Amino acid sequence: MDGLIFGLKDVYFSYLGKFPALCGIDIKISKGQKVSVIGANGSGKSTLLQMLDGLIFADKGEVSFRGVEIDEKIFYDPEFSRDFRRRVGFVFQNPDTQLFCPTVKEDIIFGPLQLGLEKSEIVKRLEMLVESLGIQGLLERPPHQLSVGEKRKVAIASTLIINPDVLILDEPTAGLDPLTTRHIIDLLIDENTAGKTIITSTHDLHIVREMSDVVYVFGMDKRIVKFGRAEDILNDTALLAANNLVHIHSHRHKDKMHAHPHLHIEHHNDSV
Amino acid sequence: MHKNNNFIERSIMGALSFLKDSIFAEEYAAGGGFLQSLDPRIKSITFLLFIIQVLFSRSIPALLFLYGLSLILALSSGINLGFFLKRTWVFIPLFALFIAIPALFSKFTPGEPLSVWNILGFKLIITRQGVGSALTFIIRVAASVSFAVLLTITTRHIELLKTLHIFKIPQVFVMTLGICYRYIYLFVGMIEDTYQAIKSRVGTSVHYKSGQNIVAWNIAFLWSRSLKLNEEVYRSMLSRGYTGEARVLHEFKAGLKDWLWLFAVAALSLVILWMA
Repeated sequence: MDGLIFGLKDVYFSYLGKFPALCGIDIKISKGQKVSVIGANGSGKSTLLQMLDGLIFADKGEVSFRGVEIDEKIFYDPEFSRDFRRRVGFVFQNPDTQLFCPTVKEDIIFGPLQLGLEKSEIVKRLEMLVESLGIQGLLERPPHQLSVGEKRKVAIASTLIINPDVLILDEPTAGLDPLTTRHIIDLLIDENTAGKTIITSTHDLHIVREMSDVVYVFGMDKRIVKFGRAEDILNDTALLAANNLVHIHSHRHKDKMHAHPHLHIEHHNDSV
Repeated sequence: MHKNNNFIERSIMGALSFLKDSIFAEEYAAGGGFLQSLDPRIKSITFLLFIIQVLFSRSIPALLFLYGLSLILALSSGINLGFFLKRTWVFIPLFALFIAIPALFSKFTPGEPLSVWNILGFKLIITRQGVGSALTFIIRVAASVSFAVLLTITTRHIELLKTLHIFKIPQVFVMTLGICYRYIYLFVGMIEDTYQAIKSRVGTSVHYKSGQNIVAWNIAFLWSRSLKLNEEVYRSMLSRGYTGEARVLHEFKAGLKDWLWLFAVAALSLVILWMA
């Protein structure tokens, strides 16, 4: 777990200079780690991930990648930019954003083509990837004809084909059925086992335990409320309730009404 | 007052349905006919040759021959002739009304009088040369539209876009067209969903003023959504290494059949040129 990949020190970011999205963020992510960022909608998770992918830049504070401070200027250097894009892959929350080509195949090979990979290598990677994701039948189809689960798989494929060291995923299981969620989680765990660093944002607590060595909880004040091992975070029901990650559930036991904080992950564990 | 609402609904749904049918339905392009089996690059070049022939030919028999050829090609590609004629002849009256009909009269095409009409004191003379010009024009439009429609319905849109590369169209332009094609569908879906959502809340009967407001909201919503999407798509392109210079993989492979077809069309063009 040694080898710092990302380091964020007292990072601030706001949209249009007046809508704060990140406040005083300190994060360290090491090579091969599985890191989850959890929090309610609008807590700054997606903003953080876009910052890690070098798409937006901090107003204040320091963001470093493998010891090099990253800001907008450094991406003007084509060498650095190409190297960074090869090493860091980002799966967007909305697959319609990521799948902009007329066919699935073109979408998948877009990244490696832009990064200048050899065509034979691209074809080889494509064949392996479609085989492992089971998306052979989708290649010639336009993305708009796909289901949400298929779009998500293709979006992941379009990032995995670059073979990045770091995989950043924004809500990878949002809106997916349980089986597709399982496939995607298994795939990500395999990638992590193979040595990739996986950074996931989610408010789906089902996947947090498997997808995290470290969990960062974001509050509505756009700050990190707490971070630590997945077990510790998930067992802190008061923390989760305070940050809109669990809700109070009322139901009837025989003739008595009963209310308690409801954490969906507990049902999930029962069934495993 | 309320009947206008049907007009708005019909217009929105009609436009969306036309877009889906004409742009996204690739029913014939996915078929296994003669034209579908050709390499899109060779097919585009040969169809361009046909259209150039049509544009420069002044002989009615040659134009009729080329038009007949387009119909034979349509049939050999498994295209329903009724559908094809409907798709092509829908454009003809438009051209005929504005160009071909005036050309009949001596005012525009002087010549040997064929028929003289007296309408409200105005003397209208139809000339033989005028009839010839109008006829040539209509057949020319019919033939060129037929070839253009035939090319687009027997070739997948993405392949057509890729063939622009051989005409030295900059790759970034081709890619932009591809992205437009991709997102038109998304926006069509959004318009449909928004319209249904509004309808589910306000009912089917809407005052025409409200109807106008609904259309305006839709336009405003789409505008702001497209701006946001534009930014997100650009970020997702950057994220995968895009630097402003688009690179694509060209995988077309021309076989013996394609070269024979190119040779045959080139020979035919020379014969028509020689005869003219």
